[in-house]
Formats: sequence, structure tokens, C-alpha cells
Amino acid sequence: MLRRLWPYLRPDRWAFVVALALTPAAAGLSLVQPWLLKRVIDEHLVPGVAEGLGGLALVFLGAVVAAYVLEGLYVLALAWGGQRSIVRLRSGIYRTLLSLKQSYLDRQPAGQLMTRATSDVDALGEAFSSGLINIILDLLTIGGTLGAMLWLDARLTLVLMLLAPPVLAVLELVRRRLRALFGEVREALAAVNAFLAERVDGVEVVQLFGNERPSELQFDGRNDRFRRATSRSNVYDSVMYAVVDGVASICVAVMLWYGAGLAAAAGLPLAPVEAVSAGLLVAFIEYLDRLFRPLRELSSRVAVLQRGAAALEKILGLLDVDEVVVDRGEPLADADGTLRLEDVRFAYRPGAEDVLRGIDLEVRPGEVVAVVGATGSGKTTLTRVVDTSYTGYRGSITVAGRELASLKGSEVRRYIAGVRQDAQLFSETVRFNVDLGRAEIAPEDCAAAAALVHADHLVERVGWERVLRERGADLSVGEGQLLTLARVMAHDPALLILDEATASIDSVTEQLIQDALARIFDRKTVIVIAHRLSTVEQADRIVVMERGRIVEQGSHPELMAAGGRYAELVRAGEDLLVA
Amino acid sequence: MIRDVAASPLARLVTRYAWRHRWSYLAGGAFLWLTNWLTVSIPIEIGRAVDGLRAAEPIGRFVAAIAAMGLAVIVVRSLSRILIFNPGRDVEYELRRDLFAHLLRLQPSFYALRKRGDIVSRASNDITWVRTLVGYGGLQVVNVTLAVGLTVWKMVELSPRLTWMVVLPVLVGMAVVQWAIGRLFRLSRENQEQLGEISEHVLGSLQGIATIQGFVAERAFVERFEARNLAWFATGMKLAVIRAAALPLLVLAGGVSMYVLIAIGGRQVLEGGLSVGELAAFTALLMVFLPPLRSLGWMLSVIQRGRAALERVFELMDAPVERPEGRGGIVPTAGRGPAIELRGLDFAYPDEPDRPVLSSVTASIDAGSVVGLFGRTGAGKSTLLRVIARLYNPPPGAVLIDGVDLADLDLDAWRARLAVAPQRPFLFSDSIEANVGLDPEVSPARVAEAIRQAALEPDLSALPDGVATVVGERGIMLSGGQRQRVALARALVRRGDVLILDDVLSAVDHATEARLVETVASLAGRPGAPTIFIASHRLSALRHCDTILVLDRGRLVDRGRHRELVDRPGIYRDTWQIQSQRSARAAAAS
Ligand SMILES: Nc1ncnc2c1ncn2[C@@H]1O[C@H](COP(=O)(O)OP(=O)(O)OP(=O)(O)O)[C@@H](O)[C@H]1O
Ligand SMILES: Nc1ncnc2c1ncn2[C@@H]1O[C@H](COP(=O)(O)OP(=O)(O)OP(=O)(O)O)[C@@H](O)[C@H]1O
Ligand SMILES: [Mg+2]
Repeated sequence: MLRRLWPYLRPDRWAFVVALALTPAAAGLSLVQPWLLKRVIDEHLVPGVAEGLGGLALVFLGAVVAAYVLEGLYVLALAWGGQRSIVRLRSGIYRTLLSLKQSYLDRQPAGQLMTRATSDVDALGEAFSSGLINIILDLLTIGGTLGAMLWLDARLTLVLMLLAPPVLAVLELVRRRLRALFGEVREALAAVNAFLAERVDGVEVVQLFGNERPSELQFDGRNDRFRRATSRSNVYDSVMYAVVDGVASICVAVMLWYGAGLAAAAGLPLAPVEAVSAGLLVAFIEYLDRLFRPLRELSSRVAVLQRGAAALEKILGLLDVDEVVVDRGEPLADADGTLRLEDVRFAYRPGAEDVLRGIDLEVRPGEVVAVVGATGSGKTTLTRVVDTSYTGYRGSITVAGRELASLKGSEVRRYIAGVRQDAQLFSETVRFNVDLGRAEIAPEDCAAAAALVHADHLVERVGWERVLRERGADLSVGEGQLLTLARVMAHDPALLILDEATASIDSVTEQLIQDALARIFDRKTVIVIAHRLSTVEQADRIVVMERGRIVEQGSHPELMAAGGRYAELVRAGEDLLVA
Repeated sequence: MIRDVAASPLARLVTRYAWRHRWSYLAGGAFLWLTNWLTVSIPIEIGRAVDGLRAAEPIGRFVAAIAAMGLAVIVVRSLSRILIFNPGRDVEYELRRDLFAHLLRLQPSFYALRKRGDIVSRASNDITWVRTLVGYGGLQVVNVTLAVGLTVWKMVELSPRLTWMVVLPVLVGMAVVQWAIGRLFRLSRENQEQLGEISEHVLGSLQGIATIQGFVAERAFVERFEARNLAWFATGMKLAVIRAAALPLLVLAGGVSMYVLIAIGGRQVLEGGLSVGELAAFTALLMVFLPPLRSLGWMLSVIQRGRAALERVFELMDAPVERPEGRGGIVPTAGRGPAIELRGLDFAYPDEPDRPVLSSVTASIDAGSVVGLFGRTGAGKSTLLRVIARLYNPPPGAVLIDGVDLADLDLDAWRARLAVAPQRPFLFSDSIEANVGLDPEVSPARVAEAIRQAALEPDLSALPDGVATVVGERGIMLSGGQRQRVALARALVRRGDVLILDDVLSAVDHATEARLVETVASLAGRPGAPTIFIASHRLSALRHCDTILVLDRGRLVDRGRHRELVDRPGIYRDTWQIQSQRSARAAAAS
């Protein structure tokens, strides 16, 4: 798994090398301190030798200062390498998110995907910088400490080691329990947050429908589950911490007991000093502290590492999703706006029922084709397949005689664009919402596009540089549609799709827009979807869809004369106005 | 409960949430005291044992004492941590529960001025920091105070002069760190906010992914993302410098203390003022003293973070729920549609208070009538309906319900009488059934009836699981018209006294439209019928209204029945001409 991260770490590998190189030095400097202390006691204080004490003390001070400097450098090197890697990884995740297929995104809660680029990356960074590298430092310290202890007094150390198996066994037991609980804690928290985010998002609905209490109850179940999981993990955590703490003291007792016993066994009256000197004892107390500190932090380190591992898994899961839009294929030069569909079938999910069930349709350059039909009949789906929002159609779709699936996606999308039924606006400036940051679109083009769709008054009022609220919530629905219309006009695609583009716009404005568009329509191929049939009757051809099939097509007079489904719908519309 | 806004957030956290756990805290505190008393007593015993060893005296007593105390530490430290940390989890739970309940009741004018991402992050991340504050932070404060106090006390007993020389470097270190913490705090808050911006950008991009991909705008979005990403990095590095240089100062100070102990304490031993055992005890005490000090830097930053988080949480908790219910009146005539009177209603959105969206709208609406709202895009139809639903509070006296000021009504009682289908339908990622019957008490039969009334039935057969189909976030797996009608069914299931239908016909075909118009007609006209508002651009939906209000840029410019309005010049007639002429043309062609 870590190998997958290497590309993100690689550019700053030197920072990591420096940090790693510093760890033995930092660990060594911290290990040398108790030894110096021992020398001070055993060589100077006990025998009463004043000479050289000052020098030794200064060496000690030097070690302390050097440890501070080295550790600082180490932290900086890690932060530099780590954070830069995070920046790269986050950017990689974001790019991946942007390239995911919409069929995949439909099934993923956006809030959770968002956490891949934020809290998951953070957890990973944390695991890396404070977990992994610290564990290396911890292991070095533990190893070094044991080495130093063995070197100073092997027998004493070995006796102390006898305590290790029971302690380690207890720790391992607790760690296992904790591990299982951490998973539960994570899941419970995710459920709490997801529910909360969705209710806050839909808070108006909750209020309008007096749904506060039921929502609270539903929330409470999730909140309580989280509380119980964290409380239980806390109990284990506390025990683990305390065990390590208490065992340190017991070790000291063992040491003293052993020292005294040795002295007695040797029958020496005053000699235990040689067996366990005061200096040795002090040094060992310090070493034990250095030995146990990492152990005591173990549970939090383990938690950090586990969170990191879980995050890594999720991130890699995302980076590995194969449902991405691959921008490969033949370029689309000199296309003229011809579009041909032959027996096109499509389902949103493999195995699900087809939404498009054998569509045959030809759209010629410069033609305006209207698609009408009952709601849910597949009109929007048809346009989504054509503009490559969703891939995986069966049958054949050709653009200028070439199969859609074999063409380069980005070129197809530059060539075919449209207004979606639900106006998608971003919390960015009005200008950005229109030009979407494309450099080729000059401010004048934006202005011209806005004027064309009669959005100029709107833009004048709110101003080009005004930042909209999330989803354009501070515009009326119709105003939002006007802006998305301006957007598509500014991008000027050769094949234009208007999906209910004026459904929430008043008829007077709609009429003005249609007149304006009519002027450019003869240069463009247009597919327009509308429910208000009166708005499409002038289309060159009208296609009537029903349950994923085209049941009729022809011009308005032809279809009226045929007296089929279309005529029926038109009459229904008339009745609404006349009856 | 009296809201004591003036008190500091911390004080309020204590009184409102932590206080009820006082016994747990108290017991935990006692165990904590015991723990620390044991931990400082152990070094003293060690010192005695060392001196005893040197004097070749039996030390079994000391050894047994040390071992026993070690065992006791395991027990009491466990208990202290459990007793102090667990209430923190309860506080977290209660705080989150209360915050959620409060958020559900805050009005749109509150949400208008804030980003939802920020609110969600306060309710999730910040509350977690508060837990750390009341659990870990509280424990450490007590722990550090006890540990430092007791060790210093024991040290003073051994040698007062040496004590202050040993403690001095630590005090200096703390002063510097205290300063650094302030900066750390500001920077980490900034860092957090930058991360929030990143989240919002990502979320916005995901929501608009179809547009980004459709217009090949990935590059521009990546650029914007990178700018935010790099800003985060810059702050992160500043933080790292503080972490690297300032926080370890305490460890450095501890080392310096040890140096002082060796250099000066050592001399004292040589001069005979101190025994070796006492020096060993001093060293051991310093070892007790240093770990809390080492974590002090971190602890201080945890406390700072926690307090900032607490402030952010209470900022939301303190946002007033604007319910100026003066008389707390409940509509006297529940059970039938009320008469509604608008008296010179002025309204502006809170984020743009200078732009009137509704200006002196005056109209009286009969009980149980069907009211059409007509006007060009952005005229203020939805706004007027939002005010009637009291998503935004009307100015006092501007809207009267059966003669009672809407601003005075009990909001819950008023909402209980409403049934609203908003213009932007919002569906939860749940089944159609659950979305329609939001209230779990609504019977399945009523849900089924509402679905039928909303003409949703034919669509159900095409959906994989019928009414049990899960619709995805915001109903993404449904077609536009299906989404709209699920929201409509949700309103119909309520059988409210006031039915508000905002543009619910924009995404349906004529046949479905006809059925919906029929549904509305079937609801109206009976005795006890609801008062119905219909905003629409389709005159077919307005034709049968008892009265139609015509809005233009926030003003009521005309009012009347369909027949009257088509006879007068104005946008209504213009629209009629456009819509009916086309129809006539269509008819002529057939
Ligand atoms: N993202 C999706 N995932 C799964 N099913 C979908 C998705 N989008 C639409 N559907 C289903 O596909 C069918 C056709 O939907 P589509 O949006 O194409 O209809 P439409 O003709 O455009 O309807 P409307 O007039 O209401 O916009 C519907 O039954 C719908 O539930
Ligand atoms: N939440 C908001 N904050 C600020 N301004 C808003 C907000 N919602 C709407 N507006 C503005 O108030 C005006 C009236 O909007 P409203 O949604 O009431 O219009 P509408 O008549 O319903 O239009 P449509 O026919 O497009 O639905 C618009 O100019 C809009 O920009
Ligand atoms: Mg509206």
C-alpha cells in the first residue's frame, strides 16, 4: 500500500532522508543523558571527586541543547516533506474526483467523497508524521535504551526483562480490543456526521414539515452509538496507560530488591555499591522512563496509525476507482453537427432495467430537434448519453460519422454542451459561473452571451464580481436558469442541448430568448427538451418519447395530422388553457 | 432556562453540561490526587532505599512499599482516567444533541449568512475538540497542577534553594511557550478555516460535476483548488516552525534543570549539604515533573483549540431562534383554511438588507380560496410564499392570519397547518416512501394516496423498487419531474390548512399537469378547504384560481380573476397571448 504513496512522497524524499538520518542522532543524544548522570554520581558524588564535575555537567548541557536543535530540525524536515506530500496527494485526489464518472458519483454521498481530500488526507499525514516516524524514533529509543541498559548492567537488565512477558501480554490484549473498538468509533462517527450534514442541508424541509422531533430521535440513535463506542474504548485506553505507568515503579522495586539480594548473597557487608551503584540506579530509573514513555503513548500512536491506515485504504480505494473518464481517443476535427443514433440502449447500472430501449434518431447539421414526452420517459437520459455524461451505451452513436465511444471525450464535450434541467451554480463570482474560468472567453463574450439570453439586467443588478451563495441559493430559480443559459451561449458549442432550459422562466422573457436563439439556431444543431409543447412547435422535427422509446417523429403539422401521442399531448395542453 | 449569554463559554459549559457530572469528576479528581501522591512518594522511597543500600541496612520495607505503590498506581490511575474522561463523552453527546436540535430550529435568515460546510464542521470537529477540552484538557490541568505542586513541595522539603534553581529554567521556558501558544492558536484557527474552504470547494465541485465535465472546465477548477491548497500549506509551515522551535523549549528547559541539578546539586553533595540518596530522589522527582511539562505545550494547545472550538459551538447555540411570538397565539381556526391579509408587506433578504424584494404588498385573501401568484422571473413570488410559511419573519403587523399577526403566532402551531412544496425540491437520500411520509406517524395508506394525487404512480412501476426505491442524494436518481412530484406528494400527505405550491408544474408534461390541476381543484371549494397558493408561469395552472396576484419587481401591480386579467393590459395579458396564441396556432395546424 505504501508503495502507492511513493509518487507523492518522492519529490521530497530528501526531507524524509534528513529526518530519518536525524532520528538515530536524536535518540542517541537522549540516551547519553542518563549515562552522563550515572558518571556524575558514581565518579564524582559518591567518591567525592569535585574535579571534572563541571566539565561533565557542561557535556550534559551540550547533549540537551543538541537534542533540542536536532529534534527541531527533525520536526521541520518532516513537516516540510509531509505537508508538501499532502498537498500533492490532495491535489491528486481532487483531480481524480473531477474525473470520476457521473454514474459512480450518483451512488456516493458527496460529503463522504469530500472527506477523502480533507480529513482522510489529514489523518494520513498525521499517521505519517506523528505515527510512523515517531514509531521509528520510539523503536530506536527502546532498542537503544535496552542496549544501554544491557551494556551498563546486563544481569540487572535481564532480571527486569522477566517482567516484560506479562506486561506485554496485557498490553497486547488491550490493544486488540481497542483495535476493534476504533473501527466501531470511526463508523459511528461517520454515521453521525453524514446524518447531521444532510439534515442541515435540508433544514428548510425539516422545518416546513415539523420534522424536528423525528429528526432528533433519528440523530440520537447515531449519537448515542458513538458515545457508547468512545466510552468503551476509553476504559481500555485508561487501563493500558495506567499499567505502563505502574509497571515502571514495580521495575524499580525489582531492581532494588535484586540489588539488595545480590549484596546479601555475596555476603558483602557494605559492597552493594558495586552490585547496584547509586548512579546506576538513577541511570536505570531514567532509562526505564525512556523505555516506558513510548509504551505509554503506544495506544494513541496505534490510534493515529490505525486512523491513517483506514484513511489510506479509503484514499487508495478512490484513486483506484476504475470508473473514471479517460480522455483518450481520436480527435474530433471538422465535425459538422451530424448526430446519428442507432438502436441505442442504456441502463444507469449494469443489470438494471434499460432506460433507453432502442433509440433511432438522426440529427442533421443546423437542425432543431425537439424531444418531448411524459416525465421520466428518458429525455434527459438521452442527452446525457449523447454528451458523454454517462458512458456505456449499447448500439451506435456517431458524431460526424464517427463512433462516440472512440472519440476523445474532452473534444466531444467542447463540441456538445447544454443547459441542464437543474441549474448548477457554484459559489464563485457571477463571471466565473458564466465563463467557468476558460481563458478564451473574454469579458465582452460574457456580456454578449448574457445580453443574448436577456440575463443582462440580472447581471447588471448583481454585478459580475459578486460571489454567489452555494448552489446559487440567493438567486430565484428562473434567474439561475438565465445564468446557465448565458454560460452555454458564452461557450458556444456546435451542438446545443437545452433541457428544460426555460422551464422556470416567464413566458415573456422566454419568448425574447427564443427569438434571439432562433437567429443563431440556423448556424447550430440544437436538441431541445420541453414540456410546454407550445414552445417547441417550431422545431424542424419533434421526437416523442415514451418509456425509453421514440414512438413518433415529424414536424408539428405532420404529427398533429397523424393524431398520435403528440397530438394527444398537445390537446391536453390546449384543454388546460381553454376548457 | 435563563440564557446567560454574558457568561464566558467555558463557564456555561461547566454549569450547563459538566456540572451534572460533578460526582464523577470529584471522584476522578480524588483518584487523580491519590495517583499523584503515590507517584511523588515513590521517588522518596527510592531515595531512602538508595541511602539504605549504601548504609547496608535492610531495604525490604522500601522495596515492598514501592512495589505496592506501583500496583496501586495502576488501579487509581485507571479509575481517575475513566472517571474524568467518560463524562467528557457524555458532555460531547449532550452538546452535539443540543446543537443539532438548535440547528434544526434556526431560520433560513441565519443560514443565509453562513456556509453550511462551516456549520457542519462546527457540529462535528469542533465538538470533538470540546470533548478533548473537558476530558483530556481538564484532567491534564488538574494532573499537571497536582504533579507540579506535589513534586515542588517534595523538592522544597529536600532542599528549598536547589528547588528554585531547578524550577527557574522551567518557568522561563513556560513564559516563552505561553507566548508561542497564542500564535499557534491563531494560526491553527486560520489553518482550520483554510481546510474548511478546501472542503467547500470540493463539495461544490462534486455537486456541479456534470457542468465541470460537460464544459471541460476541470483546469480552471483545479487551479482554484491549488490556490487554496497552497494557502493551507503556507500556514501549515508557519505552524510547523512554532511546533519545532517553541514547544520543545519546555523539554529544553527540563534538560537545563537537570544540568542545574548536576552542577549545583552535585556541588552540594560534595560539600555535604545533600546526601546522594537525596540527589537521587531529586532526580527522580524531576522525572515526575518533566513528563507533564513535556505534554504541557501540547496540553496548552489542546486547551486553546478547545476553547476556540467551544466559542465556535456556542456561537451557533447562541444564534437566536427568531420567534418573536408576542402573544404566543395559536391560530383559532385550525381545521380549515384561514383568511390571510397582507398589509403593506415589505421584505428584504438579510444578506442584502438594502434591496427590497417585496415592497408594500397589500392584499386580503379569503379563507379557503385558491390564490395564484404570477410574475416575471425574480418578481418575488417565492419570497412572498417563504414569508407566508414564515421561513423568514414578516415585519410585525404585515401579515395577518384570521386577523392574528403571523409574527405573533406560535411557529410550531403555524407550521403544523402548512403544507409546502418548494420550488427547489429537496429529497433526503432515503426511499420515496420515507421522503413522502417524513413524519413516521403518517400511515402507508395516506402516503399511497398522496402519491396517487401527485400523479407519481405511473412512474413507480418504472423504478427498480417502487416506493421503496432509494433516491440518492437530493434525489439524484430520479428524473426532474419525478423529484418535483415526490416533493409535491410530501406536501399533499400533510393535508394542511394552507397549501403552498411553488412552481410545481415546471417539469411535468401536459397530461400529468392536467391531473395535478385536477388534484388541486378537488382539494378546493369544499367547506373547510385549505387556502391554496400556486405560483406558476403556466397560466393553465392559474386559470382556475379564485384570485391571481400579479407581482412585478416586488410590487403587487394587479389582482383579479383570470378573465379579468386577460382583459387588462399588462404582463398577464401578454403572457396569455403568448401561451394561448401558440396553442391556437397549434390547434389551427391540426
Ligand atoms: N442518475 C440516475 N440513476 C438511476 N436512474 C436514473 C437516474 N436518472 C434518471 N433515472 C431514471 O431514469 C428514468 C428516466 O429519467 P430521465 O431523467 O431521463 O427522464 P426525463 O424524460 O428527462 O423526465 P423529466 O421530464 O421528468 O425530466 C427515470 O425513471 C429515472 O428514475
Ligand atoms: N436567499 C436569497 N437571498 C438574497 N436574495 C434572494 C434570495 N432569494 C431570492 N433572492 C432575490 O430576490 C428576488 C426575488 O426572488 P424570488 O425567488 O422570490 O423570485 P420568483 O418570483 O420566485 O422568481 P422565479 O420565477 O424565478 O421563481 C430575486 O431577484 C432574487 O435574486
Ligand atoms: Mg420562484
